[in-house]
Amino acid sequence: MKKLLISKKTKGILGAIAFPIVFIAFWQLFILAGFPSARFLPSPYKVLQKFVILFSDPTYSHNIAVSLQRVMIGFFIGTLAGFIFGLLMGLSKTAEKIFAPFFHAVRQVPMIGWIPLIIMLFGMNELPRVLIISVAAFYPITLNTFSGVRNVPREYLELASVYGYKGLTLIRKIIIPAALPSIATGISLGLAMSWSVLMVAEIFIQTAFGIGTQIQRGRDRFDIALVIAGIITVGVLGYSMTLLVQKIVKAVERGQVISADK
Amino acid sequence: MAKRFLQRLGLKDKLLAIIVPLLVLAAWQGAVSQKLCSELILTPPLTLLNTLLELAQSGDLTLNILASLKRVMIGFLLGGTSGFVIGILMALSPFLNRIFGPLIKALQQVPEFAWMPLIIMFLGIDEFAKYFFVAIGAFYPMVLNTYQGVSGVPEKYHELARVFDYKSFRYLFKVIIPSALPSIITGIRLSLGLSWMFVVGAELFGSDSGVGYLMTWGRAVFQIDLVMAGLILVGVIGFAMNFLLERAEKQFLLWREPVDGRPA
Repeated sequence: MKKLLISKKTKGILGAIAFPIVFIAFWQLFILAGFPSARFLPSPYKVLQKFVILFSDPTYSHNIAVSLQRVMIGFFIGTLAGFIFGLLMGLSKTAEKIFAPFFHAVRQVPMIGWIPLIIMLFGMNELPRVLIISVAAFYPITLNTFSGVRNVPREYLELASVYGYKGLTLIRKIIIPAALPSIATGISLGLAMSWSVLMVAEIFIQTAFGIGTQIQRGRDRFDIALVIAGIITVGVLGYSMTLLVQKIVKAVERGQVISADK
Repeated sequence: MAKRFLQRLGLKDKLLAIIVPLLVLAAWQGAVSQKLCSELILTPPLTLLNTLLELAQSGDLTLNILASLKRVMIGFLLGGTSGFVIGILMALSPFLNRIFGPLIKALQQVPEFAWMPLIIMFLGIDEFAKYFFVAIGAFYPMVLNTYQGVSGVPEKYHELARVFDYKSFRYLFKVIIPSALPSIITGIRLSLGLSWMFVVGAELFGSDSGVGYLMTWGRAVFQIDLVMAGLILVGVIGFAMNFLLERAEKQFLLWREPVDGRPA
């Protein structure tokens, strides 16, 4: 009977809070137990203290701003290029036959593999960092735009030819709206990839500011609390960005359904 | 008639496919031989081929490839196996799902490379740290796909298992795993691909052997042909691994289809 007293919603909230609390409790217990391997592990409280210090430190917010800016520029370039390239390959079978094999071959090289070459060619500055982030976004967006454009239902195209849509009108009114869900998937995948590669870019291509730099610096100073604070920051920022994009994607899809109903 | 037409079409596709690579190669060789770009910055393709051959002859190539593959295999076995076991446990037990689910979701938000500094601080920069890093990469796709596959086992299979009174091991090996196999194979493919990426990353951080080491070494002594040779190796080996596993995946799907196709 007691079970009925707790509504489903509170149960959900309790479940969501329970996990972090248990996790932090275990962490603290692990340290209190005094295992030799825990010697270097800072307690949750120390990490919290580190966060308090960081929040009043302008470098921290600057690091976040620089990282976000870096990701946004790279992601924007990669998205734009991937969209155009995917659209081109999706619209023209010849373009697909010319570019797709090369694209798939180059795609096999893990992002991290490009780092030494890119450093040698461009040096350790902002350009290679942004470049590698945009390439990371480029692959999934190209692939998803391509498959979205290719899978536009035949009936839509027939309808378009009835209306006499051609060229740009056809692309703008039929193909892009129909391919939108797939493109949106590509965009959220691309953003996740960009964020992940940002770490690679900031840790491997040394830089003065950025969250990756902060983590790296924590390691240099053997300040594990700083490293953990950096990792948590990266996780939280990445997760909020994913959530934001998912919200936007859902809104776009809903808008599309409504306009299709009209 | 139709066959010949198709053949011609296939040949035409192949011709179209090599246009871009040929153009890139020609521009690349041209840029160097026309002195638009120094050979120190951009190795001409022919020199690159020569470097690869030299590496193969001296035995450095096989040595480094084997070193990387060994790390991939050990890391993949560590991460993949734990992902497999945890994935099955999570799918079969709602309780464990509630424990591991949020933990994995939270940890997954952190880009894997951000763990690298922490791993180095705790485990040092020796072989075990590399295995561990590769294992992290292998873990996520394996746990997610196994979980998905096992929780997607149709209810009728569970019912049938109950009818036959299959318990524990028999239930696991005769019902759950065969039914989830396609998803598990996808997990293996993805996780091996990421393992390969992560081993290169781990080697770039600091190592004395491996394909990633070849590239860092090339960068350190400013021998760009070594860096490019390493890049090609990384791509080709990654491609080969993916290709083989995709084949295996298709084989397993083929095997599965008639089972699903049969009337229930």
